[in-house]
Amino acid sequence: MTIVKPLTAATLFFSLCVQSALAQDGRIKGTGGVNSISGAGGGGLIPWATLSSHASAQQDGGTLFATRTNVDDFSLDVIGLSASFKNRLEFSLARQEFTIKANNAQIEQDIIGVKLRVAGDLIFGNTPQLSIGAERHSLRDPATAFAVGAREDNGTDYYISAARAWINGPFHRTTMLNINARYSRANQYGILGYSGDEKDGAVALELAAAMFITRSWVIGAEFRQKPDNLSALKEDSARDIFVAWLPSKRWSVTAAYVDLGDIAGAADQTGYYLSLQGTF
Amino acid sequence: MLPSQVKRFSLALFCTGAILSSGCATTSENDSLYLALGGHDGIAKITQLFVMEIAYDDRVFHHFADSNVERFAEKFAEHLCTVVDGPCQYTGDSMIDIHTGMDVTEGGFNAIVEDLMNAMNQADISIGVQNRVLARLAKFRGEVINL
Repeated sequence: MTIVKPLTAATLFFSLCVQSALAQDGRIKGTGGVNSISGAGGGGLIPWATLSSHASAQQDGGTLFATRTNVDDFSLDVIGLSASFKNRLEFSLARQEFTIKANNAQIEQDIIGVKLRVAGDLIFGNTPQLSIGAERHSLRDPATAFAVGAREDNGTDYYISAARAWINGPFHRTTMLNINARYSRANQYGILGYSGDEKDGAVALELAAAMFITRSWVIGAEFRQKPDNLSALKEDSARDIFVAWLPSKRWSVTAAYVDLGDIAGAADQTGYYLSLQGTF
Repeated sequence: MLPSQVKRFSLALFCTGAILSSGCATTSENDSLYLALGGHDGIAKITQLFVMEIAYDDRVFHHFADSNVERFAEKFAEHLCTVVDGPCQYTGDSMIDIHTGMDVTEGGFNAIVEDLMNAMNQADISIGVQNRVLARLAKFRGEVINL
């Protein structure tokens, strides 16, 4: 399954991108970012205020993506898509497949996301781009979540996000900062369910910084604070440093080193993140 | 002489005159961006490449289909020269007057930004210098779009 899904996604990208006769290219390359593990347009571990694709105010666009995150004791495969309308509204869908390597057990989760740009612009004008969003998570395999003490097998995260890019940033490189405040009840992104005996949920801080070294190469870092709802299992903040390659407005490849901290009792989970995205 | 050479020659004369009369040829922090673009010759080259980019850009070409290319190139070069604090004087109409009624969209503006990036790439202008120029030009966005 883990092999088949990314392949299917890749085939899908290809056919959709080839069929996409009229490119929706109104925004400057890179301003759509990539798709996060929840499906929402953003970085990798967190959504950003940016809307996915390069569609501008008169256009609609979409993306397809496949992501593999592999750390010491777990892996997470994600496939998904997003659709953006008039650089105002974004919908996203993602299917996550989490694998516990020790027993090759899998936990699947579906996420439906919506994001609305409420004000501002990423690059131009005086107001940073401000967006609000929600991510509805539902576990397809809730047994593990309940076993570790989660109260529910589904939940909705809400976030507010601000992003600004400076064309002439440090070292005369275009540089973006993004900050999110998220209310979440999720345990480990929802893989271990929602809410716990210690807490119902929490407001968490998420940060990202990215710099265009050239027009096609971007480096950056992210930080994601998380609620810590389960008394039995400590949950850490997650972070990554990434490099993204955008050979055109159609494609991006992102590689990252991720540090997800302790997950379900397994300490110091570090590894790689690799994501392929097609935009149309 | 070809028309383009005439234009370049007259532009050169104009800018030389401007340098002599304004006495702003001394090097300063502000002059450095003008020099980083290659001075007058660099701006003339970027302008020519920029016009070619626009000519092949279906997203925005319709805005220019009925314009006088020579005049556009001359005024754009002057404008770029003044924006980078070069020793020129912009003699064209205001940005608002030019763009009123053109209905330039955000996407159209971004397309022009990309055309200029491509032109500067072809002129071997470094990314850092490009970004310094683009950041200054970006301030005119409000005088260009949705008018």
